Amino acid sequence: MNLAQVRTPKNLLAAAILILALALPFLVGQNLYLLTVLVLMLIFIIYSSAWNFLTFSGQGSLGHAAFLGLGGYAASLATVRLGLPPLLTLVLGGLFSAFIGILIGITCVRLREWFLAMVTFGFAVIIQTLVVSQLAPVTGGWDGFAVQKIVPTTIPGYLVLEYYVVFLIAVLVLVLFYLLLRSRIGLALAAIRENETEARAAGINPVPFKLFAFGLSAFVSGIAGGLEIFHFGYITPEIFGIDLSFWPIIYSITGGLGTLAGPVIGTIVVTLLWDGLNVLGLTYGRFIIIGVLLVLIIIFLPRGLVSLPEEIGKKWGRKGK
Amino acid sequence: MDGGIAVLGQVAFWGLYSGCIYILLATGLNLIFGVMKVVNFAHGEFLMLGTYITFFFFVISGFNPYLLLFLSIPILIGAGIIVERLCFRPILGTGKLNEIFISLGLIYIFQNGVAMVFTDEWRSMKSPFADLTIGIGPIQLPLDYIIIVVITAIILVGLSVFLDRTTTGKAIRASSQNRKGAMLMGINVERMDMLTFGIGAGLAGAAGTLWAVSGQVFNPYMGSVPAIKGFAIIILGGLGSIPGAIIGGLAIGMVENFTAFFLGGSWKDAISFILLIVVLLVRPTGLFGEAGE
Repeated sequence: MNLAQVRTPKNLLAAAILILALALPFLVGQNLYLLTVLVLMLIFIIYSSAWNFLTFSGQGSLGHAAFLGLGGYAASLATVRLGLPPLLTLVLGGLFSAFIGILIGITCVRLREWFLAMVTFGFAVIIQTLVVSQLAPVTGGWDGFAVQKIVPTTIPGYLVLEYYVVFLIAVLVLVLFYLLLRSRIGLALAAIRENETEARAAGINPVPFKLFAFGLSAFVSGIAGGLEIFHFGYITPEIFGIDLSFWPIIYSITGGLGTLAGPVIGTIVVTLLWDGLNVLGLTYGRFIIIGVLLVLIIIFLPRGLVSLPEEIGKKWGRKGK
Repeated sequence: MDGGIAVLGQVAFWGLYSGCIYILLATGLNLIFGVMKVVNFAHGEFLMLGTYITFFFFVISGFNPYLLLFLSIPILIGAGIIVERLCFRPILGTGKLNEIFISLGLIYIFQNGVAMVFTDEWRSMKSPFADLTIGIGPIQLPLDYIIIVVITAIILVGLSVFLDRTTTGKAIRASSQNRKGAMLMGINVERMDMLTFGIGAGLAGAAGTLWAVSGQVFNPYMGSVPAIKGFAIIILGGLGSIPGAIIGGLAIGMVENFTAFFLGGSWKDAISFILLIVVLLVRPTGLFGEAGE
């Protein structure tokens, strides 16, 4: 790879965003509200990228909060009951989530779009019910329980440190997805997504690849769940809520489905819009604005904000002629 | 012992009643799916709109709430037609996931639009017959529940007469059986899409009125779970089959109420999905579903 190839506008843009993200805590300074927004934004970038990875294999999920919550509960229970450090239990939570994810994946590999959407949605409802009823002695039921934070609050400037920890994990996740999608695994997933029968004919067995995508997506979602809990310092069954299943979908579609940058851009844009509208005092109005935005994007910009420059270019080119 | 049977009978009747709501939702979803091959996950928002229309006009007019069916159904038919024209027609045939995603946007718009007007607190209303019960053997049945079962039956019979006997109904069935063929016979399938979507929304509106009249609580966010259960029902009963929707709706209503009775109320929602997952494990295309679309 020579330098000319590396210095594409895309890569330069990515590098600029990376440097900006690294410098952000210094720009924001001691504004704790903005730092919290940024940390949550990063956590949701991880989570929506995980959801989006599933769509690379042609699968989709309406209940990804199940994996977010499973990771969160496994990680926080391991921290509280076994006294393990959060950075270790994050991985444990992810692994537990991946294990359950593969079990669900096994039931799902044979199912078509709507059926898959139903099963994943139902699964989140079932898990939440289990957590608040039969498992309540362990999980604290609807009340939940307190957990320590990822960086102890006694350390000065802990929120800045937390930002960098989450940032590092987000970058690692994105690099992992990038490398995977460029590898033979990524090619196989694309073949399965485009036409499963033809992929089979080409000698690709879709089942292990689909399970891998499900497991990895659940693993990363579980890590995002752990991060969210260790950020708030408290866990309740609301983590399985329908809203938390829908957010990664909204972020990914807004940014651009099936692209690596889509969930990142979508999360940033929608989160900023969301918190901006909140500052303006539009509690319900912001949901409506997001809903309208979603409908408009699906109809008029089906490939998301990522494709916006290209679409504008097309329009201008046509006018020029 | 006699008391035990009475309680079980009561639970079965609750099942029948909640089954009625599910049947109306599932039949509407099924009609829409049959003609357009589209799944509207925002269908529960029509149910929610139905409850609020009933609530609003009941409070300002004081009419018998059952009469408000004649208001909620037409309004929702109109709403359904508008939603189809503006949101679903542009994405028809662009990929199966898009319709799920566009429903998400609609869910947000409807839920919070209503929340802006009525706030998001739980509400309920009292039917004028709320205190009347009818005794059948050892079982005491609330009059409202009996009326609701009868009204559901009347609506379903009316719908089947419409579909079987009228020209428009036949055109809808033709578009559902073979879209291209129907087009070649001079049927305006896009108009049928709009009409079917409207009828589906109207059925959900009727379910909304019945929900409110029965004294169940509602808030702007109540629609999602019943609608997704309605979809679970049509997967169980077979996509596109109306008798399947009726049997599936009754089955889910019964199973839910017996589970809530034996295992506790928190399992009421989860059980229908457990049932769905078990069925899909055995038969990936649903109980009566066909292998194709």
